Amino acid sequence: MIRSAFASTAITVGFCLFVLLVVLVPVALLYPEPGEVLSRFLLGPFEKTRYMGNIVELATPSMLTALAVVLMFRCGAFNLGVEGSFFLGGLTTAAMVLWMPLPPLVGIPLALLAGAIVGSLVCGIPGIVKATTGASELVSSLMLNYAAVFIGLFVLNYYLRDPTAAMLSSDRFPAEYRFESLIPRTRIHIGSIVAVVACIIGAIYLNRTSQGLEVRISGTGNDFSRHLGLNSVALNIRIQVIGGMIAAFAGGIEMLGLYSRFTWQNTTGNGWTGVIVAIIARDNPILIIPAALFIGYLQVGGDLVSRAFGVPTEIVSLIQALVMICVTSVAIFQHPALRKFVQGNRGEAAQ
Amino acid sequence: MMDLAASLLSPEFFAAILRVSTPIILVAMGVLISERAGVVNIGAEGMMLSGAFCGVVFSAYTGSATVGLIAAIVAGMVGGLFMSFAVHVLRANLFLSGIALNLAASAGTILALFSLTGEKGISGTLDSEVLPSVHIPWVQDLPVLGTILSGHHILTYVAFLSVPAVAIFMMRTPTGLRMRAVGENPEAAKATGLSVIRLQLQAFLLCGVFAGAGGAFLSMGYVSWFSQNMTAGRGFIALAAEVMGAGGAYGTLAASLLLGSVDVLAIALAGEGLPSELLQAAPYVVTVLALALYGLRQAKQKTIGTVH
Repeated sequence: MIRSAFASTAITVGFCLFVLLVVLVPVALLYPEPGEVLSRFLLGPFEKTRYMGNIVELATPSMLTALAVVLMFRCGAFNLGVEGSFFLGGLTTAAMVLWMPLPPLVGIPLALLAGAIVGSLVCGIPGIVKATTGASELVSSLMLNYAAVFIGLFVLNYYLRDPTAAMLSSDRFPAEYRFESLIPRTRIHIGSIVAVVACIIGAIYLNRTSQGLEVRISGTGNDFSRHLGLNSVALNIRIQVIGGMIAAFAGGIEMLGLYSRFTWQNTTGNGWTGVIVAIIARDNPILIIPAALFIGYLQVGGDLVSRAFGVPTEIVSLIQALVMICVTSVAIFQHPALRKFVQGNRGEAAQ
Repeated sequence: MMDLAASLLSPEFFAAILRVSTPIILVAMGVLISERAGVVNIGAEGMMLSGAFCGVVFSAYTGSATVGLIAAIVAGMVGGLFMSFAVHVLRANLFLSGIALNLAASAGTILALFSLTGEKGISGTLDSEVLPSVHIPWVQDLPVLGTILSGHHILTYVAFLSVPAVAIFMMRTPTGLRMRAVGENPEAAKATGLSVIRLQLQAFLLCGVFAGAGGAFLSMGYVSWFSQNMTAGRGFIALAAEVMGAGGAYGTLAASLLLGSVDVLAIALAGEGLPSELLQAAPYVVTVLALALYGLRQAKQKTIGTVH
């Protein structure tokens, strides 16, 4: 089992690099200095402390959204509401910070909690609807993502808008509410530590607690869990609400960590990135941490070549899409020759 | 308020419903075929977006709207090939493959637009064609019906005609029957000698034809340009319409029209000074409500079924 997990991880890493080069090399060849483009993308992110800081900043929200996705997927709920939860969580946290004149020590946790509760609706409602009516959580969570954005924009436009700002944005947050940078010359904030700790707690919860076991059992199929007498329905709702809360909490952290006012006009893409990270991590909470850093690294690399050579940043999305297909491919992961190659002779002994 | 009531009863209002529902109907027909064949296509959104993009680009470079439409349909079918490759050859997860297709289509169309025009947002510099509108002789001269039924985009008529066509195809032809058999129980279908993969590939390709045409309607009729992510979740709404229609072509048509009407109603109400953001959210909220109501009815029928 350990060897098999090792092989899966090794193949995943291999394919991530393979896909990266398959997309990057042809794109680089379109430019006069292909070598420069490649090295800027691949090595550039490590050149400066600031760039490495960017990787961590970008990985922070996706670690949390990926954790939310992993919990829901492992429970068997195909819920894609994290994108909307993240947006509403950020908005509610921003609104609380602007409306509540409390000292930061009380105000910040309260604002994040409020964000988590309101944002959890986007994942929670599809879960409840599924449990009570049987309607697919997949379709309703996709729909609610759009609804969340428009409702959020309504609140922003009618209640939070700073009339003096040139663009549609909220008033400025009071300075004492914003997270301080932990490492000089980066914007890494306390949220990164929270995210890593959350992933570790998530791993312990899933693998070392009885409820985590119930989540995993109910995720493998309802028959077995029903025979065990588990209340899968209640568990499913609870996990989707928790997932929504984690994603929304991530939105709040992102808001206070990196922004001085609420400026989102649309969903941020952090939820989708979370889905990709969750898949690369193969639904394992601990592996979310390296997977999120890898995606952050791609985003920083894409950003660097975009600024230096004008290469559109969308190539990163293209890489992510292909990685997603490869990593979920059963044909690749159960290919006997490939597994044998990775595991060597020990793999045969294990079988 | 009287104005509003008058405008809601005007022939133009009903004509707008037909127009707004067209892309939903088209894509929902495609989703229906794929769903009945057992491969729910989340990637319809991406297929639609590729169709919208290729329609604009190919019609701009050839000067022919027909070539644009064909290119849009081919683009949708390429999306179908991608889905089939991912699901059947790589055996990747169906839903995740669809998400990947959407992601790739969103990024890919922006990349291609950028490399062709140097812009990322909108294809304003491309001089693309639109597909014609059709005025039906006799009908167009009728007092109220003329405004409602005549003068629409050609794909609006195609969409409505495709509904009985899909119904007949799925329910009355051998291929449709086989597709449903595969969707109902792939193991049993395989045991009778049907090729599950071939039938599902055909379903994906047909879904691509409809989704590509739906995209062409958006960029070559509804508006005359391509802008990034212009499908705005219509592929997902089509998915919901198909679920509400319980996999039947006519039910799906009714659900598509309902969702389209909510959209048009929201536009009409925004003109009355109601907050447009909330009205824009309405179609999505209504979709969830409708799914829930439909689910409740299904569940009730199922319990009645088990009692007997």
